[in-house]
Amino acid sequence: MNRDFTLCNISSDINGYQQLINLQNTILPLSFEEVPIKICTWFDANLAAPLGGILDYAESKGNTVRIDSLDESVKAILQKNGFLAHFGYPQISDTHLTTIKYLKLKPTDTRYFHLYILNDLLQRPELPALGSTLKRKIAESIYEIFVNAQIHSKTSFIYTCGQFYPQKNELIFTICDTGIGFKETIQNRFNKKVSAKQAILWAITDGHTTKVDISGGIGLAILKDFIVQNKGTFQIISNDGFYELSNGNEKYTSFSGDIHGSIVTMKINTNDTTQYDIPAETDIFDIF
Amino acid sequence: MNEVTINIFNIVGNSLCIEADDGNIVYKNINNALSSGKQVIISFQNVQMLTSAFLNTAIGQLYRDFSEEEIKKNVKVVQLTPSDAILLKRVIDTAKLYYKDPQRLEQSIAKILEEN
Repeated sequence: MNRDFTLCNISSDINGYQQLINLQNTILPLSFEEVPIKICTWFDANLAAPLGGILDYAESKGNTVRIDSLDESVKAILQKNGFLAHFGYPQISDTHLTTIKYLKLKPTDTRYFHLYILNDLLQRPELPALGSTLKRKIAESIYEIFVNAQIHSKTSFIYTCGQFYPQKNELIFTICDTGIGFKETIQNRFNKKVSAKQAILWAITDGHTTKVDISGGIGLAILKDFIVQNKGTFQIISNDGFYELSNGNEKYTSFSGDIHGSIVTMKINTNDTTQYDIPAETDIFDIF
Repeated sequence: MNEVTINIFNIVGNSLCIEADDGNIVYKNINNALSSGKQVIISFQNVQMLTSAFLNTAIGQLYRDFSEEEIKKNVKVVQLTPSDAILLKRVIDTAKLYYKDPQRLEQSIAKILEEN
């Protein structure tokens, strides 16, 4: 049987995510087979994160994954960010220093994750476009997503990857898991059937949490607020749901087929001069 | 001694107050002191990064066990940066709402099912 493992022109948009879902669903029934991945034209480097999750699943079923047909420029970027080192390629150095490494880590590896955030983001002098308060705000948002995956997803691994585009003044970062997704998390907690759309819309509302007996549900709302201020973009992909907040406008659509787990992508406008550390009127002597 | 200082940096063991589980350890310390009738000073000295998940468990859940008046009277925070103070305020406001009306979340699910 001829199976197609081709990914073509993959950007962080509906079409790109749909192709990743299609690839995942092609791989899903396979075990102990060859999985020759072909990547042609463009591949957004940050999407190495969900691709890593999909290919790890393939390998966990005894399949042999090969990435043996690659556009040269895609190959270079995926070698620089360390992704291809997981699939039989040597690593090469990033002379332009625009990659934010591909990282696969256990949800309990918080300290290792912090070193990654420090080395790949906060302490990188070659990212001059980012002011220190913006860098801190980006890190805070990434941590909020990381702990969300840690607490709710029941995933074995969390995958992250990013890319800095100096010409476009954009930093793009994806964090994903291969756990149970928004829908199942909410269904398990409230014993009510919800669609992916309902699950995502509920979860991004301030104060909505699936934790029992502990308040919360602020992390995604904080991220939303930041993205609106930054005039950036924020996407959630979970099950067959796609949510996007871009330039203050919200959009929702459905995919054909489900992704396993959840993907969160942030596109940060690095030209942002907002001083995020200027406090609102919060009096710490009257905080309670 | 009627006043106890809870040093978050030392309890967590580093400057990253990220994980909910670490927040839970801080919460147990605060709860223990308040239950023993002490005044609590929570020190954020040397804390570099905070998440809402950490603060929900460390401080938010106090509103389940103590009244707002008790907390206001007996708990103080020190060495908190202005932006972290904004985050903590948001966590506290959310906790007050949550423990005041635990059914609110069930109702919010019913609402989203109706509307979407």
